[in-house]
Amino acid sequence: MARTLTFKIFRYNPYAADSTPFLQEYKVEETQRMNLFAALNYIRDELDPTLMFDFVCRAGICGSCGMLINGRPTLACRTLTGDLPEVIELLPLPYFKMLGDLSVDTGIWFRQMEENVESWIHTQKEFDPAAEEERMNNELANKIYESERCIECGCCIAGCATANVNPDFVGAAGLYRVGRFMMDPRDERNEEQWFELISTDEGVFGCIGMMACGDVCPKDLPLLEIMAFVRRKMSATALTK
Amino acid sequence: MYSENTELFPQASPGGGKSTIAGRKAKRALWTELISGVTGLLLSGFIFGHLILESLSVFGAEAYQTVADFMEKTLPLAQISAVVIPLLFLIHFIYAGRKIPGKLYERKRMLELGHSLKKSKNRWNQKAGEYTTLRRHFETSLWIWQVRTGMLVLALGAFHFVLVIWNIFTDMGINATAGIQAGVSGPRVESGLWLLYLFLGVAIVVHMSIGLYRLAVKWLADTWFDRKIAYVVFSILFWVYLILNFLGVAGLYRVMNGGLL
Repeated sequence: MARTLTFKIFRYNPYAADSTPFLQEYKVEETQRMNLFAALNYIRDELDPTLMFDFVCRAGICGSCGMLINGRPTLACRTLTGDLPEVIELLPLPYFKMLGDLSVDTGIWFRQMEENVESWIHTQKEFDPAAEEERMNNELANKIYESERCIECGCCIAGCATANVNPDFVGAAGLYRVGRFMMDPRDERNEEQWFELISTDEGVFGCIGMMACGDVCPKDLPLLEIMAFVRRKMSATALTK
Repeated sequence: MYSENTELFPQASPGGGKSTIAGRKAKRALWTELISGVTGLLLSGFIFGHLILESLSVFGAEAYQTVADFMEKTLPLAQISAVVIPLLFLIHFIYAGRKIPGKLYERKRMLELGHSLKKSKNRWNQKAGEYTTLRRHFETSLWIWQVRTGMLVLALGAFHFVLVIWNIFTDMGINATAGIQAGVSGPRVESGLWLLYLFLGVAIVVHMSIGLYRLAVKWLADTWFDRKIAYVVFSILFWVYLILNFLGVAGLYRVMNGGLL
């Protein structure tokens, strides 16, 4: 039996001078296995063409449809309306730059984080385009691949109370990123450099341990586990040298 | 008065080794984290003993007096604690308190986010074992309660320290001798201090259980002592110590009338 869903959607256009934030209601007939991607597109196609939201892949890979769904940051494309009550409240992810309605720009934050943690291979080797590519053993390649499963949807940052009040905090996404380069043998940064980079109040020791990052991560990444490991590793580096 | 440890020019802190400014800064962050965690752990250890010994007052004045004399005279543990624990308390406040946001709008943001995450469980009706499982999250709110109870412990605990130090080292101008005596503690608690001790005890137990849970997850989440086990262990600890606290205060209230038993 089909339900009539009531969507309460945050409306605000920061670029329009006369815009003030409010919740707008839309009624949508629920269909079988409906997800929020389908529902939001229905609203935009049939009810209100001015509604702004982001989707690209609609399969939980691109990470652009993160939003607060009934109070929780998660991916809209992976959320079935069947998992939600009849009233569904949609707000944009907090903290990120607001583009309008449900659309935020997570890229600005991620770009800044990448610069802060210097998210690239640091090497002194000259690149020789004619040489054969260096080989990496498969086990390590898989590990690095695993640590690149983060889709950068920004849910862990939006759900983190520390990140919400400290713009320089690199958050779970940032520490996860650092872990990827720590594993990579091509990156020549030494232990001391890693220590300086993440054993700070903007890095792992800025974390209060509220655990929201691990709870809201739509990709179920082991964020808390990685951070516990990094904490111990950083302490061991500092205390034994 | 220029010192190369200056915080005034953060952009002039080049990295590249442990003797650099960036290296020292990172080390300081590590030490502040370690100090706040370790002092919290030590204070929890003290509370374990304190509440167990205190709750022995349910057996009446004689048991209470025996414990007090043992701690003060046989071992000078009470005197040592009366000096060491307030010091640890102060250090813990300084180092752990640094994480509390100072501005009102920051606290409001944290509060609102914690509330939103906690309430979201009731605003979803997902059944167990669905495609993506919704995990309950209330640890952000728990942290806010840890701050609140921490402030309560700071105020009430400071009073408790003054009273206990006064009591252990002097005769307070009214007692026969220095030291804790059932004949003084009992009526004191009965005359109204029970309310303060009840609040102090509950605040400490809440603060301690949440703190230990967080500490375990922060440092051991990837080991066998993972988050699920830590949650169970510290929930049990919370209830046991909450009951011990009530027993202790009730026992002290009735200590001159033969305790609770």
